[in-house]
Amino acid sequence: MLIDETHKKWRDFSLVFLLVATAFYCWYPMRPPQGRNGGSAVGIAFGIIGSAFMVFAGLLGARKKFPVWRLGPAQTWMRGHLWLGLLSLPLILFHGAFRFGGTLTTVLMVLLVIVIVSGVFGAVLQHYMPRMMTREVPLETIFEQIDSVRAQLLEEADKSVAAVCGPLGVMAVGSRKLPAGGYSERGGATPAAAAAATPALALTEEDSAPLRSFYLRQMRPHLEKPGAGDHPLADPGKASGIFEELRKRVPPMVQETVEDLEDICEEERQLRRQARLHHWLHGWLLLHIPVSLALLVLGAVHAYKALRF
Amino acid sequence: MARFTRTTKKLAQRIDLQYFKRSSPFRRWRFLLSVGLTALAVVWLAWQTLARNNRAYSSGQMATAHSLLATQCAACHVSRTGVFREHATNQACLECHDGPLHHANQVFAPDCASCHVEHRGPVRLAATSDTNCTQCHGSLQAKGGSFSFAVDRNIEGFHSRHPEFAALRSGKGDSGTIRLNHSVHLRKLRVSPNGPEEIQLDCDDCHRTPGDKRPWRFGETSSGRDEAQLRTTAMEKPDPLRPNPTRAYMAPINYSKHCAACHLLQFDTKKRFTEGVPHGKQPREIHEFLMNKYQGHIANHPADLRTIPMPDQNLTGKPASPLAQNLSPPQWVDEQVAEAEKILWRKTCNQCHTLSFPKGASLPEVAPPNIPVKWMLHAAFDHNAHRMMTCTSCHAGATTSQLTSDVLLPGIQNCRQCHRPVLDAAESRCFECHTYHDWSKEKPVKGRFTSQELLHGIATFPQPRDAEPGQR
Repeated sequence: MLIDETHKKWRDFSLVFLLVATAFYCWYPMRPPQGRNGGSAVGIAFGIIGSAFMVFAGLLGARKKFPVWRLGPAQTWMRGHLWLGLLSLPLILFHGAFRFGGTLTTVLMVLLVIVIVSGVFGAVLQHYMPRMMTREVPLETIFEQIDSVRAQLLEEADKSVAAVCGPLGVMAVGSRKLPAGGYSERGGATPAAAAAATPALALTEEDSAPLRSFYLRQMRPHLEKPGAGDHPLADPGKASGIFEELRKRVPPMVQETVEDLEDICEEERQLRRQARLHHWLHGWLLLHIPVSLALLVLGAVHAYKALRF
Repeated sequence: MARFTRTTKKLAQRIDLQYFKRSSPFRRWRFLLSVGLTALAVVWLAWQTLARNNRAYSSGQMATAHSLLATQCAACHVSRTGVFREHATNQACLECHDGPLHHANQVFAPDCASCHVEHRGPVRLAATSDTNCTQCHGSLQAKGGSFSFAVDRNIEGFHSRHPEFAALRSGKGDSGTIRLNHSVHLRKLRVSPNGPEEIQLDCDDCHRTPGDKRPWRFGETSSGRDEAQLRTTAMEKPDPLRPNPTRAYMAPINYSKHCAACHLLQFDTKKRFTEGVPHGKQPREIHEFLMNKYQGHIANHPADLRTIPMPDQNLTGKPASPLAQNLSPPQWVDEQVAEAEKILWRKTCNQCHTLSFPKGASLPEVAPPNIPVKWMLHAAFDHNAHRMMTCTSCHAGATTSQLTSDVLLPGIQNCRQCHRPVLDAAESRCFECHTYHDWSKEKPVKGRFTSQELLHGIATFPQPRDAEPGQR
């Protein structure tokens, strides 16, 4: 989420709230004899407010599960999640008077710090990376569809090369296990069609040899195993040189096919880039969400035990 | 550079519109981690519960004095039927500690745990916060509105609005009646008990704590009487602040230890006796002592009955008596005793003691010494804790003091030099000098637990008795 002027009210509220809470924290030990204490009335108040903010922040996940419910705009929930969740850290520190206490409270503080730090890290990434992704990955697709799109790119490349070189004699795409996403119903390509296609342009074996050789030895393995980052075609500079060299070695009538192949390689590189950026953009949630859930559960136990004892 | 022939439409056609219905690895991992970590937390809590280990829920490490009870939560957190909360109660504290009341006139008695806050780590529970005291002494109220404090009713701490020490504040001076010029005693003296030699007395030649067993430079070796004297005479009632003050306070000045070496109590001008009059006796007893001495002497030396006054000794201007005067033994004894008492009452005793001569009485009355042993009656002080310092660094006035009435107790500003509410300074909180509980009213506590019960737990701790009135 972009942290811009639309956050002004939340930011100002959070700052004022933090200042008031800090002033209260500095003032209140003058009253109870035992000083700052999580068990004092003010300490409990800090704990209740901080916990309420944490619960509200945690409800964002529930809000997303029911997008049609009339519970206010999702963006408002997200802003509240960001700012109230951030406020919960100083409030809980005030609640515990900057002491970690016993085992459970120490675990809770560690979890809270992990949640807040990972959340701030995620918020910073969410602020900058979407624009970076738009700039660097113009052919961005849905992350979950990347494998499916890659299979279609391979199929498209097979089809283009087979159209000028004749059958490639490689395992048809359709005979491989399909990715979880499957193929587009509207994309309509028959998986095995490309590899078995009849050539539209009749090139001699000698003329088609450089293209066939390049495709089967370099490009196709790259498309089949896109994870290999050290492949020359994974590097834009090297790929440009390779395709430039290929153009010189093939007849003019297949220049367009070479350009199609170059487009496919470029798209493949963008998909790789998108996957990497996506892991950064959402990977922190693998820490943030599980730890948040554990924090809420253990926090509830702590509240029960603390009020009782 | 590649040419992009892919239109948005072409790209969109690749997308499987049902993709969101299928699980993705990322969502799957997120779910598994969420469930797994939460389950791990729940399993840990369940394990703690099954193992009957409540330490995990403790809000902090126990104080050193209670460390044995770290696993025995029920010793303090007593469960009661129908009551949700199991806070540590006063009754639980009173099972092991008697907490005598602070002051009969106090408006309220705080709970034990409000001052002695547990679960704050290995700290001294007696090291309470100043606000425990200033919640009352910051604006002191008393039952019935009767105050015994005339000045210090709005104290905020040692460094804020704490009044000057009472002995200095009153302006009455030292109540002691023994005449002593500190200045003279701390100068270089030309005569020592051993003869004409120059000596320099030190403070600890006269002032020492009873626990100090070093031999005296000019006095008798300590026989342990100081301790007994300190406990029975000077401190007639038990000290509610310090149960064992043998090194805390200076022992009272003792004539035989501190004065006798130089100040001999001679009474006979002709030096017929090597000993002086006994110290610590009343004039009547001294009179009897003198009578006995001279009666014994004249019985052994009858020739002394014939007295020949020397004309050059008669400076009164009165007519001289006959050259020779024969006295009866009783007359001689009376005359010698009168002469000796004149020396004692006018010079020897009078040099230090305050004597008064009531009308019609033949003997003077000696004012009691009234030397204060404890200057701060509502606070504790420990000389032993300050032993690294020179005496005059606090009692600076001792070197120049000439009058008995001079109060040589250092003022509060002197203490505040070191006892400041900052890091790297000596303790300055109230408890350092004052104690809330009046331990002179302490009642014995009957133990209930065996060591095994304390070490390995007790299935059910006994229900605590109700607090008696006047406790805490």
